Amino acid sequence: MKLENPIVTSLALFAGLIFLSPVLYSIWMSFETAQSYYTGQYEFTLDNYVRAVAEYNFARYLMNSIIVSGLVTLLGITVATMAAFAFARYQFRGGNLLFGATVATLMIPSHISLIPNYLTLAKAGLLDTYAGLILPAISNGFAAFFLRQYIKGIPKALDEAAYMDGATPLQVLWRVIVPIARPAIFSMGLYIFITEWNNYIWPLVAVGREDLYTLQIGLARLYRINPGEGLVDWPLVMAACTLSMLPVLLGFLLVERHLVRGITLGAVK
Amino acid sequence: MLHKLTPYLLVAPLIIFITVFTYIPVITSVNLSLRHWDFLSPTMPFVGFENYRLLLNSRDFWNSLQVTAIFALISVPIRLALALAVASYLVRETLPSRLLRGALFLPSVTSTVSIAVVFSWVFATDYGMVNAALTSLGLGKVQWLQDPQLALWVLITVNTWKQLGYDIVIYIAGLQAVPQELYDAASVDGGRRFHVFRRVTVPLVMPTTYFLLVISVIEAFQVFTIVNIMTHGGPAGATDMLVNLLYRVGFTLFDIGRGSALAVLLFIFLIVLALIKSFVIGRRVHYEA
Repeated sequence: MKLENPIVTSLALFAGLIFLSPVLYSIWMSFETAQSYYTGQYEFTLDNYVRAVAEYNFARYLMNSIIVSGLVTLLGITVATMAAFAFARYQFRGGNLLFGATVATLMIPSHISLIPNYLTLAKAGLLDTYAGLILPAISNGFAAFFLRQYIKGIPKALDEAAYMDGATPLQVLWRVIVPIARPAIFSMGLYIFITEWNNYIWPLVAVGREDLYTLQIGLARLYRINPGEGLVDWPLVMAACTLSMLPVLLGFLLVERHLVRGITLGAVK
Repeated sequence: MLHKLTPYLLVAPLIIFITVFTYIPVITSVNLSLRHWDFLSPTMPFVGFENYRLLLNSRDFWNSLQVTAIFALISVPIRLALALAVASYLVRETLPSRLLRGALFLPSVTSTVSIAVVFSWVFATDYGMVNAALTSLGLGKVQWLQDPQLALWVLITVNTWKQLGYDIVIYIAGLQAVPQELYDAASVDGGRRFHVFRRVTVPLVMPTTYFLLVISVIEAFQVFTIVNIMTHGGPAGATDMLVNLLYRVGFTLFDIGRGSALAVLLFIFLIVLALIKSFVIGRRVHYEA
């Protein structure tokens, strides 16, 4: 990486700051009192976070989001990796057809499934449960497709050597393929996690019980009930907002490269 | 024997999930779109194409289609033009370029709900960021989200702000695939900067542009969260985009038949776009020797 002259660097930094200013300012605002926000005299406080957690149950929503996104990622990536391994390594009757059906799901807009999935889960008695939030999000045709391409690039001789040593297919998958494909699996997992963390419309229709709200639903609700009492308590709303962005923002700083990779790999092959 | 079954056992979970939550729902939607139902009645009488007829005769549907089309027609070209211009600057591997890339990319991984809430504050009439700036310049306050002439523009701005980084990242990947010799050749011939951009860069990233064009239109037709949080489709239907109408008809009016008919129409439209997309990607041009 080359270093450019400090003027260009500071200009670029400044442009970035301007671009991000709404988010940066909202985080700054979350640490002041409503009173100080409206009078313009900054006064530092952690009170908004305390209230979001204690009065508005955001600790619970945070936990729900972690449980739901975590399980969707774990189950989704497992299901996709298993299928990808089969599609990449086995010639089996109907294999091409099933692979075609998997890839075709990429074209089907999720909104067509909204009403039917609601009915299916209602019939199964799974509305207002974690299962109802998680199950429809598990299958990921894109992850299966992408991992299949990746696994195809791994030399087959490695599998064969393992089979010679008496390994079972599952052992080959777990001991040979998964370790080599780890970067791809990691990028896909991140991608699934973030998509699910930010999911809004499905939890909105599938969950009515307040103790199952995810952060996104909790935040939308908090923002919506707030204006009723006159002026919006923006600092409180922004504290809730920051809580719902925080994990992804932190993750972003740590693994930005992987994220960008996951996303570009998806679009540009 | 067991060996023969192995691949089937491995794909079974994925196929079961896809069948239950993607393929069967498509069929269910078509079936429901031909019936009259409100979530509660024990019967759902068959009404043929009545729901489609009602939909195509309703002002809400045409308004919603128009709003969505305007949204797409304005936001997509702005996004692509901005993204290509910025990407062709940020493609260089320098420190400021890396920092800016990160800053611009951040919104596309941040939750849309948070972004919608933050921008509800940015465009709030009282104590909002934009109006505070206007007031300090001695200008009057503007009712950004309450004015039917302006609300859609605000949503377009927010959506552009959120998606721009994604477009840039994809363009950078596309630009990196362009062989450096082509630029060298162009500058040897005495090409000026803008000239090189117009004659070399723009044509060479055309496949990327097609790709982004189609997926951005597909996305524009599925915008929901910012509408639901910032305007609820108002004022006076000015931002009532298609998925918002679908949500309204299905989950607040409980008219399952009409909601499903709308979903089927949306589905047909998006499938056509998706087919165009795979056609375009299938034919992506490669310039490498």
